[in-house]
Amino acid sequence: MHSPELLKGTLQTIVLKVLKDNGRMYGYEITQRVKELSDDRILITEGALYPALHKLEAEGMLKTETENIGKRVRKYYSLTPQGRSLVKERVNEFVEFIKTMGNVLQVNLG
Amino acid sequence: MKLTEDHISYIIKDLNYRGIVADGIQDELIDHICSAVEAEMEKEKRFIDAYHTILKRFGHTAGLRETQKQTIQSDNNKPKDMLKNYFTVAMRNLRKHSFYSLINVAGLSIGLAICFIIVLFVRNEISYDKHFANADRIYRIKSDLKFGGNHYNMLYAPPLMGPTLAEEFPEVEAAVRFRERGSYLVKRDVENIKEDHVIWADKDFFKVFSIPVLAGNAQTALAEPNSIAVSKRVADKFFPNEEALGQTLILDNNQNMKITAVYENIPTNTHFHFDILIAMEGLDEAKRNVWYSNNFQTYFLLRDGADAAQLESKLPQLIMERAMPQLGEILGGDFSPEKFAAAGNKMEYTLQPLLDIHTKSSLQGEFEPNFDIAYVYLFSAIALFILIIACINFMNLSTARSANRAKEVGIRKVMGSFRSHLVRQFLTESVLLSFISMLLALGIAYLLLPVFNELSSRQLFLPFSEPVFYLVVLSAVLVVGILAGVYPSFFLSAFKPASVLKGSVALGMKSGFIRSALVVFQFAVSILLVIGTLAVYRQLSYIQNKKLGFNKDQVLVIEDAYALGNNRMAFRDEVMRSGKMELSTMTGYLPVSGTWRNDNPWWVEGRDPGVQENMVSVQCWQVDYDYIKTLGMQVIQGRDFSLDFPSDSSAVILNEAALKSFNFTGEVLGSKIATFGNFENGEIDREKLETLNVVGVIENFHFESLKQNVTPVIIYLSDQPRGPISFRFQSKNVKDVIETVEAKWKALAPGQPFNYYFLDDRFSSMYANETRLGKIIGIFSTLAIVVACLGLFALTAFTAEQRTKEIGIRKVLGASVSSIVLLLSKEFGKLIAIAFVLAAPVAWYGVSWWLKDYTYKTEIGVGLFLFAGLGAFVVAWATMSFQSFRAASSDPVKSLRSE
Repeated sequence: MHSPELLKGTLQTIVLKVLKDNGRMYGYEITQRVKELSDDRILITEGALYPALHKLEAEGMLKTETENIGKRVRKYYSLTPQGRSLVKERVNEFVEFIKTMGNVLQVNLG
Repeated sequence: MKLTEDHISYIIKDLNYRGIVADGIQDELIDHICSAVEAEMEKEKRFIDAYHTILKRFGHTAGLRETQKQTIQSDNNKPKDMLKNYFTVAMRNLRKHSFYSLINVAGLSIGLAICFIIVLFVRNEISYDKHFANADRIYRIKSDLKFGGNHYNMLYAPPLMGPTLAEEFPEVEAAVRFRERGSYLVKRDVENIKEDHVIWADKDFFKVFSIPVLAGNAQTALAEPNSIAVSKRVADKFFPNEEALGQTLILDNNQNMKITAVYENIPTNTHFHFDILIAMEGLDEAKRNVWYSNNFQTYFLLRDGADAAQLESKLPQLIMERAMPQLGEILGGDFSPEKFAAAGNKMEYTLQPLLDIHTKSSLQGEFEPNFDIAYVYLFSAIALFILIIACINFMNLSTARSANRAKEVGIRKVMGSFRSHLVRQFLTESVLLSFISMLLALGIAYLLLPVFNELSSRQLFLPFSEPVFYLVVLSAVLVVGILAGVYPSFFLSAFKPASVLKGSVALGMKSGFIRSALVVFQFAVSILLVIGTLAVYRQLSYIQNKKLGFNKDQVLVIEDAYALGNNRMAFRDEVMRSGKMELSTMTGYLPVSGTWRNDNPWWVEGRDPGVQENMVSVQCWQVDYDYIKTLGMQVIQGRDFSLDFPSDSSAVILNEAALKSFNFTGEVLGSKIATFGNFENGEIDREKLETLNVVGVIENFHFESLKQNVTPVIIYLSDQPRGPISFRFQSKNVKDVIETVEAKWKALAPGQPFNYYFLDDRFSSMYANETRLGKIIGIFSTLAIVVACLGLFALTAFTAEQRTKEIGIRKVLGASVSSIVLLLSKEFGKLIAIAFVLAAPVAWYGVSWWLKDYTYKTEIGVGLFLFAGLGAFVVAWATMSFQSFRAASSDPVKSLRSE
């Protein structure tokens, strides 16, 4: 499992990309999807996920809709057009970062 | 596996119990946890075990709460929401305490409205004459003349000054002389209209003053004799829908003048407003080659880059070379410039910049009264004071009510508010209040401006079309809001939550040293203004009622009698025959300013006119037989003119000042005084002497403003009486008197306008500035007191409210209503007494400063101060007693029942 310290700066990027690939999702679904994609190596903590989601929503990158399932209320997140353009940016930024890190650490990322 | 309803209910309850309650996150966490528990239960776990595994993953209660907190924080980290919240809370608070909000808004809006008006006024005053293209290069000549005991500070220069400056000094680009000859009757064909703003001017007028010429050629207009230039207003009046250029107007029934130019109306913020300019070419007086007579206001345009100070330094030499020889010629004898100066005489010309005129100049010969810059400062200070008083109301009420809000502050702090949040909250409230006040203030100012314009004879308006205006308004909202809110917000936000919530902070009326100081300040300023107002009014009534040496009441003056032509005497006789008039006199020399004046040097016959000390400069007034009787002057020595003495054609009557100046050695009555005769063209003829016999002396009478001393006057009979006719009447029915006179006028002077005034009105108009000042300060001080009392009213209301229980107990124990009223008013009474002690010396100093201009002034005694102090006290007490009385007379059962 990856250290949460390493994940810290990339949480938004992950959330945005996952939402882009899967359309609308709810909080738990996002954690599960990420877990799946990373072969259980990335576990997003709820303590970090919800503040991040709310922040992106406040900034206008995400929009939400709620659905009642019996006694439970489920809140779905999806990207706004603004959020959509941000995804590409963030992903590119991250790839650049990885390349740079490769150079700094003198490893071949293949 | 799906969770059952019961499971879900359990989770919801449990999470609630653990403190997960925030709106935005509660549902989400519930759903998340449910989903996770379901997934866990897939692994064949029991519900409760699955739930606890998930809770553990969240970090139990602490972790859950942390998540909730962080989510709330990222939710709230939106400036817009934050402001919205401040705004909502502020609105709620204002509405909840609508009485206090109302007091605050009322005070602030009055203060702001006054500020608006004053700012507009000041802006207007300092904008005078700035609209001229070369305003900074235009100057005028100021003369400082001292001769034979008389001292003149005036704007009149010799006829040669203008042309000499223009022709001989390279620094001067163009010069224009003005000569005032009073009003003119103007007609196109039959009907005469009286025009007041008529002036003779040189042809370079349009070169010096950049006034747009609408028709005609500015270069050649006014070049020929008998040509005039008229303003658009006059052109439209006489030639509606017609081309005025080239037409002819008839002035005073006998001068045909051709219109050579029509110019744009002169802007209101100009120190003159001429409507008709008459070409100076047609005025013989302007062509005289003399340096010793001063009749022309002379303006000139300095060449670009030339130095005014340098030009000014050349003027004494000019006077030495040109004026002194001429003066020696007239005065003869042992005249030399050195002796002239040694005898205390002076002939000095200096320059005055155009832009200094309106706010700094008050000399003899001003075209219109100007406005002293000191009053501009004074008004600004008053406006600021009123605004501060209003802001103080806000501070006082906010801090006084702090007890009510202390709990709010405590709870907010406990909930995690920083001090800065609270400061922002309170500032939002005050800015909101100031914004509401500003809207109201704009409305009040809009309604008040016409009144103020009337009072100040200005044409001010709110400049809604200027973008700067809105900027100023908005910044004023912020400044006032912050000014009023900064102290309360820091005061309130400093409370310690623990002590506030425990209830151990004693607040309310007792803890307000600063509040008391502010109340003292408010009342000190109010009392100061009241004393100022009273002093101005006292001086005004002193002037109006002072023994003037003549009787200004019941005198009707018929102007422009020359329009009657040869019917003058007939008219006068006709009116006298109607039986409505007692006496009449025909002369332009009247004891109010703005009428004719003429001064010449005279000496006691037998003394050497060549010796400077023997010459006395006196006002020489040519009158007729009934002059002294009609105006009610007192003969104190000798006799009045009389038809019984044919020799009275060479008789003279002196006033006391003249008597003193001539310093007769022998018996006064029967002495002779002499002066040089005049040539036809008005130049002095040294060969011909005129002598007059002194037959009487009259009491000094004031013929100029009481700011000036009474100067020597001699009165003698004119062989050809001219000028307006003054009638003394007895009847109380003024309307009837005027109608009678008007009917006679219409009969004898058909087509001529009938103009008249009452001597006492004209007399009062000499003090128009003072009257205006009195009224304006009066209004301001009333408003200041109103605003201060509003504050006091609210403060007392608040105290009474705070002390309801105390009052109830006191009453139950037997206190009387009056003792409770006294108890409640005592505290503020003390403050007002202190305010009075502080204000009195400042007011005394200010009043003395204002009065120093007057030669004749009223005594400002202790009485006036006590009256003002008492007045403020009574008003304040009345304000307080309303609330106090209500509190004191309320039923104690009601106040004590609840707890």
